[in-house]
Amino acid sequence: MRLPRFNYLGPDTLEDTLDLLAFHRDDAKILAGGTDLLVRMKKGLLKPNVLISLKALKDLSYIHEEDGYIKIGARTPLADITASDLIQKKACALFQACEKIGAITMQHYRGTIGGNILQDNRCHHYNQSDFHRSGRQPCHKDGGKICYARDEADRCNSTCQSDGATALMALGAEITLARKGGERTVDLANFYTTDGIMPFAMESHELLKEIIIPVKGAQSVYKRLAYRSAIDYPIVCAGVLLKPSKSQKNKIEDVRIVVGAMSRSPLFLVQESSSLKGKSLTDVDAFKKAADSSMNSASTFAVHNVGATLEYRCEMVSQMVFQALKEAAQKAIDVKG
Amino acid sequence: MSKNNSEFSVVGKRIPKLDAAQKAMGRAEYIQDVKLPGMLYGKILYSRYAHANIVKIDTSKAVALSGVHAVLTGEDVPKKMKMGFIKDNPPIKKGKVCSLRDEVAAVAAISPEIAKKALGLIEIEYEELEGIFDPEKAMEKDSPLVNEHLKSNVLKMPWDIHYGDVEKAEKESAFVVEDRFTTTWVTHCCMGTSGAVALFDASENLTIYTNTQIPSLAHKDFLEALKAMGLENKRVRVIKPIIGGGFGSKLDTYAYEHIAILLAYKCRKPVKVVFDRVEEFKATSTRQPTITYIKQGCDKNGKLLFRDMRMVLDNGGHTSWGATTPSVMLMPISSLYRVENVKYVAKCVYTNNTYSQAMRGYGNPQATFAIESSMDILAEKSGIDRIEFRRINKNQSGDETPQGLKITSCGLEECIDAVKKELKFDGKNEKSVGTGIASLIHVGGGARIYGSDGCGAILKMDDYGKVDVFTGGTDMGQGMDNITAQIVAEELGLLAEDINVIHSDTDICPWDVGAHASRSTFVAGNAALGAAKKVKKKIQAIASKLFDAPAGKIEFKNKLVFVPGDEERSMPIGKLLRKAHFRPGGTMLMAENFYDPDNENMGKELKGNMSMTYSFGAHGAKVKVDEETGKVEVLEYVAAHDVGRAINPLLLEGQVYGGVVMGLGYALTEEVTVKDGEIMNANFRDYKLFTAKDAVKIKAPVIETDDKDGPFGAKGIGEPGCVPTAPAIANAVYDAVGVRIKNLPITPEKVLAALKEKNN
Amino acid sequence: MEKIQITLNINDKPCDVMVSPNDTLLEVLRDELDLTGSKDACSEGICGSCTIHMDGKPVRSCLTLAMEAVGTKIKTVEGLANGDELSDLQQSFIDHGAVQCGFCTPGMLMSADALLKENPSPDDKTIRKALAGNICRCTGYAKIVDAVAHTGNPQDNCPDCLTSSKPYKIQGE
Repeated sequence: MRLPRFNYLGPDTLEDTLDLLAFHRDDAKILAGGTDLLVRMKKGLLKPNVLISLKALKDLSYIHEEDGYIKIGARTPLADITASDLIQKKACALFQACEKIGAITMQHYRGTIGGNILQDNRCHHYNQSDFHRSGRQPCHKDGGKICYARDEADRCNSTCQSDGATALMALGAEITLARKGGERTVDLANFYTTDGIMPFAMESHELLKEIIIPVKGAQSVYKRLAYRSAIDYPIVCAGVLLKPSKSQKNKIEDVRIVVGAMSRSPLFLVQESSSLKGKSLTDVDAFKKAADSSMNSASTFAVHNVGATLEYRCEMVSQMVFQALKEAAQKAIDVKG
Repeated sequence: MSKNNSEFSVVGKRIPKLDAAQKAMGRAEYIQDVKLPGMLYGKILYSRYAHANIVKIDTSKAVALSGVHAVLTGEDVPKKMKMGFIKDNPPIKKGKVCSLRDEVAAVAAISPEIAKKALGLIEIEYEELEGIFDPEKAMEKDSPLVNEHLKSNVLKMPWDIHYGDVEKAEKESAFVVEDRFTTTWVTHCCMGTSGAVALFDASENLTIYTNTQIPSLAHKDFLEALKAMGLENKRVRVIKPIIGGGFGSKLDTYAYEHIAILLAYKCRKPVKVVFDRVEEFKATSTRQPTITYIKQGCDKNGKLLFRDMRMVLDNGGHTSWGATTPSVMLMPISSLYRVENVKYVAKCVYTNNTYSQAMRGYGNPQATFAIESSMDILAEKSGIDRIEFRRINKNQSGDETPQGLKITSCGLEECIDAVKKELKFDGKNEKSVGTGIASLIHVGGGARIYGSDGCGAILKMDDYGKVDVFTGGTDMGQGMDNITAQIVAEELGLLAEDINVIHSDTDICPWDVGAHASRSTFVAGNAALGAAKKVKKKIQAIASKLFDAPAGKIEFKNKLVFVPGDEERSMPIGKLLRKAHFRPGGTMLMAENFYDPDNENMGKELKGNMSMTYSFGAHGAKVKVDEETGKVEVLEYVAAHDVGRAINPLLLEGQVYGGVVMGLGYALTEEVTVKDGEIMNANFRDYKLFTAKDAVKIKAPVIETDDKDGPFGAKGIGEPGCVPTAPAIANAVYDAVGVRIKNLPITPEKVLAALKEKNN
Repeated sequence: MEKIQITLNINDKPCDVMVSPNDTLLEVLRDELDLTGSKDACSEGICGSCTIHMDGKPVRSCLTLAMEAVGTKIKTVEGLANGDELSDLQQSFIDHGAVQCGFCTPGMLMSADALLKENPSPDDKTIRKALAGNICRCTGYAKIVDAVAHTGNPQDNCPDCLTSSKPYKIQGE
């Protein structure tokens, strides 16, 4: 499969990159590792006129801890994240998520964490070859007015299958978006539009620069389900952050439950998360209840578009959340000794 | 003459693949790598609809595109150019399309990019027709017809067989079980995609490079193609590059080959048509899906009395080898275990889905899934241990089965014993863990499907003791080259590396019916062995004069020709050959041998000893079922095979491991998902074949029964590895958690749903 | 579209090529530089047949623009051997029967080679994880895993570690 034609630009500095973005805007796409972008271009899903490569921006690749936050450059390869002791210890869910992405030789060296977060939404009706798609009415995401995954849907229901985004949202991460002349930091949970066509609340002249994870004295776990043990996107996944109480023994102070691969964005389930505040670290029944409730919440968004049956995926939400909660609670217990 | 393995010098040795070095260096030339001067690139346009009339085709814009040399439609295909064994399938369709993989146009251009662009400029007006995608519905009276000129979607095929008296046997049975099993489409996923390069010389003779498993039959098909094009008395040369995987996918001649030929002729330039992966999934054939109704019964002692099977086969839009899989399915149906009364009816039904052809096992995996699952169910019903049940009914040497298969060497019981030794079948396993067993029978000594089941070999020795073997056989990575080399080397007292096996060119290689039915070791091996024996006789005659000793006493070993026990009367083979050849009145050492095994075509009632000998095997699986997610994890797997003799244990293991992992994918994760005739998962992410992380270590005990007809006692092993995997897994899942999945693949969804139903 | 000249460092040799921006490294290797060892078996970066090294790391050449390779060190399967002298890993693949049809072999070797440089004695689980992105349809992976595990670590109980492909010992010698 040949890539469509485009102009290739390789700026040397962040400043130059932002200048180019400001100039080309919607005409341009950022090329980091290319493991998502170039595949979509080969399938004819997008045909940018310009690719702006981050090849020279090695300064955007870093992992360090600073003032109670872990800061990760957006261009950091996934392999650096899975090799980082800091992340394994203090942002475990992200470590676990990156470990499970695809396969090491597929995207761990070229693929970046920024690229994983900004991975486009997917749907097995949309992610087909251009010949397959050209023979039918285009769907919403393809510039048309139909959804093949859900009858008569007036909007795109493509799914965010990013392992990284799910885990980071559970960790309460923020992201910094840079543009010519400034930058802004936004909570990842507020970064999504819930629109399957343009899932990210970012302008075409903005560049994802940094990911900031608060270090909270909490445990985090990431669980995902797929048919195979490599290559596959998750058919359902869950990230959990669990902060044990410092004052009350064996009690939960705070929980963040995020379910991924079920909707147009990862779903931060606020109610289910709050329901566990004050509960005991061994309250398996409360975990089960929260997990089942998560399943009900997430199911309302899901459509049959990632290969597994809808019923199964919904059921497994409960499993993934429950397992993640149990594991996080156990880790908290183990730490206390 | 039965020999101990230790008595052989080369046979039985773990000799690495002769072409492995060039492959490991990246120097092997596959069809993807073939580049000829002036070569153009061909691309094929496929149908937009599963079922439609082609109203109008306008190729003018494509023709006008700069860089395009030819555009063809169905109108450009000669009337008599048809593929498939009932010759109903033109390489480019005209007037009507019956499936989404139907070819409707083709282009040759100076680059693949331009060819693809040209395809996009071809304007076709279709009149969409109602499609039919369910074979059982397609059998109904008011179903839309795939072919209007036929009165029904059901093909006229002879699969209606009854041996003995099944009704009577059923009445006499103490226990009867009846079930429905289904298998779906899976596909070969050869890493090297399909492709061909065709070119004509100035005299309009055709040379075609293609990944074929049937060079000689392809040669015939292409001669007929040329004839249909009005080219009489022309030559065809079929050249095989290194083949990037076969598994049965190259057992016929295909649209892309015929299209390459038509384009090459039109352009008078070489034309290369190579599939990308999406095309490989969508436009190549699958394994035949099946809907099977099976009834089996036994007496109170566990002796099988009858087996009654009825199948519905989705024939797809055109008829191809899939419709002949019942001929091979009949083998396990009539002959896996001893059972006297057998009934088998198979209906092949046209639908607007893709059509199936040959895939490793050729129907055996599908039939064995039903049979071996049913055997477990029957064993349980009769209260007999599942291993004992199989032993009671085991095939034995000397049997003649209801189909007329003559069992000569048979190591089934030893295989079952080997499996039992490795896995625990009695007593309790830990929670959610279970074991399962399933056996297999497969052809091991050729398979007489055509008029000939033969293979030719020409052996030529040089003056130094090196040998060239020109064989009709085909190597696609399974090791036909090594087996041939080792057999010849053993016979002539040489090393495997002294033998050069050439199989790539129909201009110089003799005839062979094809690399199918696991016949390469047995048939190509015997062909080469026969030629080696002839050359040996010639050398013995020369040595006899030289050493003044009876020719029959002359032996060959360690590159020497000698009289045993006499140090004086011994000579390096090269020196002897030079003495024979390099003098006035000299002789050349060459021999040819055509070996056609003594097996039978199926005659009336589809009876006949299809193969000269049969391979047997038994597989055992130990699985753990995650009762929360339904996922099945394979903990251990044993695959024991009766191979006659392991000519090369290293390569044999490779065939078994590869076959088993393919079979595990078949059992657990692989399916071509089809929606209204459209393949939805045409890539390696959505089509779930096993990765290195999913695969498990496999134990492969080898049982050697030293078959009297096989070369050095060997039988076939190419396919058996993937035949009983699905029932072994299904049986293990049942043992683990008490649910029986009757539809492949055994996905977590199905297991979970079954567990829920069981617990309610 | 205008082609521009770039210089790539392939197997420690500078190579000047004319490329378009949309040329992938795989296309340039195969079509311009005649290095056809790396294969295009899926074009989407899933199967691993196109795996090469970029600055020592295994990456998908079908998803790497030729332009992105400028200034990096590229190693392909053709660069594993030293002339005709096979690397230990290649020899191990041959000896252990890890090569059948051979189409996946170049990509497998590159992924395995990268692993061994980082971890000279990987266990079974580590090898399978490292090769999980290389699809093979012929071998069932078992012999590939053995070949990698035994490279530089010959095992007493492995009959294939004890022999070397060339020359084969003549029986009795």
